[in-house]
Amino acid sequence: MAQASQRIRNFSIIAHIDHGKSTLADRLIEYTGALSKREMEEQVLDSMDLERERGITIKLQAVRLSYQANDGEVYELNLIDTPGHVDFTYEVSRSLAACEGALLVVDAVQGIEAQTLANVYLALENNLEIIPVINKIDLPSAEPERVQQEIEDVIGLDASDAILASAKVGTGVEEILERIVTMVPPPQGDDEAPLQALIFDSKFDAYKGAISYVRVVEGRVAKGTTMKMMSTGKEFEVTEVGVFTPAMKIVEELKAGQVGFIAASIKNVKDTQVGDTITDAERPAAEPLPGYRKSTPMVFCGLYPVETNDYNRLRDSLEKLHLNDASLVFEPETSAALGFGFRCGFLGLLHMEIIQERLEREYDLNLITTAPSVIYKVKNILGEVLDIDNPSNLPVVDQIETIAEPVVKATILVPADFVGPIMELNQEKRGTYLAMDYVSKSRVRLVYELPLSEIVFDYFDELKSRTKGYASLDYELAGYKESDLVKIDVLLNGELVDALSFIVHRSKSYNRGRKLVEKLQGIIPRQMFEIPIQSVIGNRVIARETVRAMRKDVLAKCYGGDISRKRKLLEKQKAGKKRMKQVGNVEIPQDAFMAVLKIED
Amino acid sequence: MPSLYVHVPFCIQKCDYCAFYSHGLTNYSKELIPLYLEGLEIELANRQKDAPQGVSSLFIGGGTPTALPLDNLEHLLKLITRNFSFAERAEKTTEGNPGTLTREKLILLREYGINRFSLGVQAFDDKLLSNVGRIHSAQQARDGVLLLRTLGFTNINLDLMFGLPGQTMSLWKTSVEEALSYRPEHLSLYGLMLEEGTPLYDRIGEGLDRAESTGAEEVRREEAGESYCDGDRDQGLPDDDLQADMQEWAVERLEKAGYIHYETSNFALPGFECQHNLGYWRGEEYLGLGPGGVSCLKRVRQKNVEDVRAYWASLHEEKEPLDEEGKEILSLEECMAERMILGLRLREGVSFTKFREDFGVDLRDIYGDVLERYRYRDCFVIQGDRLCLNEKYAFVANGILREFVGGAG
Repeated sequence: MAQASQRIRNFSIIAHIDHGKSTLADRLIEYTGALSKREMEEQVLDSMDLERERGITIKLQAVRLSYQANDGEVYELNLIDTPGHVDFTYEVSRSLAACEGALLVVDAVQGIEAQTLANVYLALENNLEIIPVINKIDLPSAEPERVQQEIEDVIGLDASDAILASAKVGTGVEEILERIVTMVPPPQGDDEAPLQALIFDSKFDAYKGAISYVRVVEGRVAKGTTMKMMSTGKEFEVTEVGVFTPAMKIVEELKAGQVGFIAASIKNVKDTQVGDTITDAERPAAEPLPGYRKSTPMVFCGLYPVETNDYNRLRDSLEKLHLNDASLVFEPETSAALGFGFRCGFLGLLHMEIIQERLEREYDLNLITTAPSVIYKVKNILGEVLDIDNPSNLPVVDQIETIAEPVVKATILVPADFVGPIMELNQEKRGTYLAMDYVSKSRVRLVYELPLSEIVFDYFDELKSRTKGYASLDYELAGYKESDLVKIDVLLNGELVDALSFIVHRSKSYNRGRKLVEKLQGIIPRQMFEIPIQSVIGNRVIARETVRAMRKDVLAKCYGGDISRKRKLLEKQKAGKKRMKQVGNVEIPQDAFMAVLKIED
Repeated sequence: MPSLYVHVPFCIQKCDYCAFYSHGLTNYSKELIPLYLEGLEIELANRQKDAPQGVSSLFIGGGTPTALPLDNLEHLLKLITRNFSFAERAEKTTEGNPGTLTREKLILLREYGINRFSLGVQAFDDKLLSNVGRIHSAQQARDGVLLLRTLGFTNINLDLMFGLPGQTMSLWKTSVEEALSYRPEHLSLYGLMLEEGTPLYDRIGEGLDRAESTGAEEVRREEAGESYCDGDRDQGLPDDDLQADMQEWAVERLEKAGYIHYETSNFALPGFECQHNLGYWRGEEYLGLGPGGVSCLKRVRQKNVEDVRAYWASLHEEKEPLDEEGKEILSLEECMAERMILGLRLREGVSFTKFREDFGVDLRDIYGDVLERYRYRDCFVIQGDRLCLNEKYAFVANGILREFVGGAG
């Protein structure tokens, strides 16, 4: 039996956004004939429109390739795709855990980025064989030698035999496939051992229920197996097992070393958590595979329908998205200003943006999103610790003993020229210096501890703008720290708009409070009445601006000949205003609720 | 009893801001005049039946009715008086451009009972006039007013415009003061509207965006102590704030001079409010004949085609000369909305009683929530049976009027 798995290779691709991962995957699929050219849509693996538009992978995919190597044997190559964004680090780690090898794809112009580096470390932790590929060598500005050197210096990996490739024009594809066969070790594992299958992704199917994407590490699984989720103990009867061709194809059984899917009429993706181990309930494995953790949302925001009667539709849409994405959490909340909505938790900012966009696009919802917040741990005077994910729920000042905020360990890779600006930025963002080293002659790695709230605020944008886009960032949660934080409230026309409240470090409170009202003054259009905008801490007003009353909004002429036209004009204008939220007597544009993110320190 | 409007789609030359249907008179378009009159003859005869009791008022507008040659003008007047009877002492208005007035034409109008004349002055300033393609001079306007008076017109309206390219506050005041010096019975002060498809729009259309996103630049100017009107912004459009200042100043000035600000843009000495236009704003029935004319009887609104040849051809084929949209049947909701958006333009406002009589429901039941929402800051004033817009919001009325359209609330 071990014979068969000798011809299996499980691998993934590690690459920074835009370094050509999806294109390379397409070429591999095309070359091995998994799909004919005609069947191939560009970039098969990025199946969501949004992914294709943004050139990033959000949802994991897998595909089985059949490749006849130069040794004459036919190999089963399983490519497990990984999402390329810091929000999804845990998902990446589980995908890598399902493989024995990884292609490290580095752009021949850009070199290694922080995200790539982080994922290479994850791969090394999982003992993966790493095959360096220098991509985009067709570009005139390609510097393969420099990048080769960088791989050696930064990762300490022998890159002398790195494959020079251009996924775009197809150079190096065969060499990559050969190298996978010769260098990536075949999976170990015993078909006869108790079942251990690692879930690296899951997907909801209306007919089959929640489907687990798995790598079988030990044992075998087939239709009829009573499977058991080792984290929860829940049991289900397997209805189908299969492989990805890339279309789902049902097979008799999956055995140790193979990659495929398991369907068991599971109603909720929550029961197919990434990283969990599936075993056979009748002959369970002694231990689950290592590395499982529950996905924890890091960033929270309020989502509200602009039209109050869209509330139920919003709930249904969130539930549908949740079917496929257990990491999205949401619960109903009420805002005095915005009415009924949901507090939603996301893995990170990108995840939040994606969910928002999908709700607006795929579900045609008109939404107001409040500025993202992190979870603060607030100890009150009774000694209770409260998790505060919505600034407007922060207890009043005299009830608070301490507030702690989440901090992350952030790794920044940047050309040496920009070390100064980055240090300055980290200083401004209340960072604590941890380490710095040269990863090559011209590139530096900086490690800082930073409050997560500062990263959520505008860190990415600042990082990009201060380094002309050359810096890259990776971070991981590093615990909670007590901090001197205050809540800023915003009053429009004298009324508190709870959805605009935010929590900020005291040292920045005055500045941000002032900038926010200035920003809001620019965003809120002039209306029939003057609108004072105030930011306050407790009862103290720290800044005030006024949106002056509109002075001309009238139809100069309206006679018999164009009454219909004028009525229609007013109707059209009224419909246009529907994108604004009426709070009291003030019409507030949607982007006002995100304004706090658009101010500069 | 409906009112009667007759559209004359000819003028000497179209003004740069004008979006009304009209032909500048060229050798080609002159040939359209006989077709126009022929068509109108048929239409007037056909539509008699819509006013069995006669019509309450007459308004001959355009275009420029006085741009018609004398004989054509006489023909037009004959056709109208032959086909329609008028209420006793009915107001009969003709519009005219100061560059088209002749003693003969005005005498003719008087002979046919035209008792009100509306003169398109726009500004007593040659530069401002030529900036927007007006064909006449300020002097011709002065001469026109005097001629009208000499010939016995005792009800004269002067149209003035503010917000013209290059117009400053002081230029505006000068025009208003001169207009007042003639003591016209009626004044219409219109803020310039940039309409799509006009040469002015094409020229400074982007000014629309600028005007809407005033904010920062104004604040800067204000803080810098700069006046809006300095510099040589000859073609620059006065921004919304300056226009508002112009309107505000004029309202105050005219009221001081004894004029009643009886509609958003209209002012009259007591008893000289334009009866014809009041009909529109009060929601009464009207006939609008000629190419481009719009009629509204009961809940049916229909617009004639804006094309003299097509107009003529339809009438010859014994068809109604409607434009492609045909007849519009207004829903009850739309009728009520129009009553509000038109009636609130008037100082007299909307009558609760008439609303109930016309629509069978109480205005408060339909729009109670809007009235409630805007009680804040006294946007509405209730005077006896009438609901009025607080005058202070007249120039920003759209914000409130929008509440009445496209479904209440």
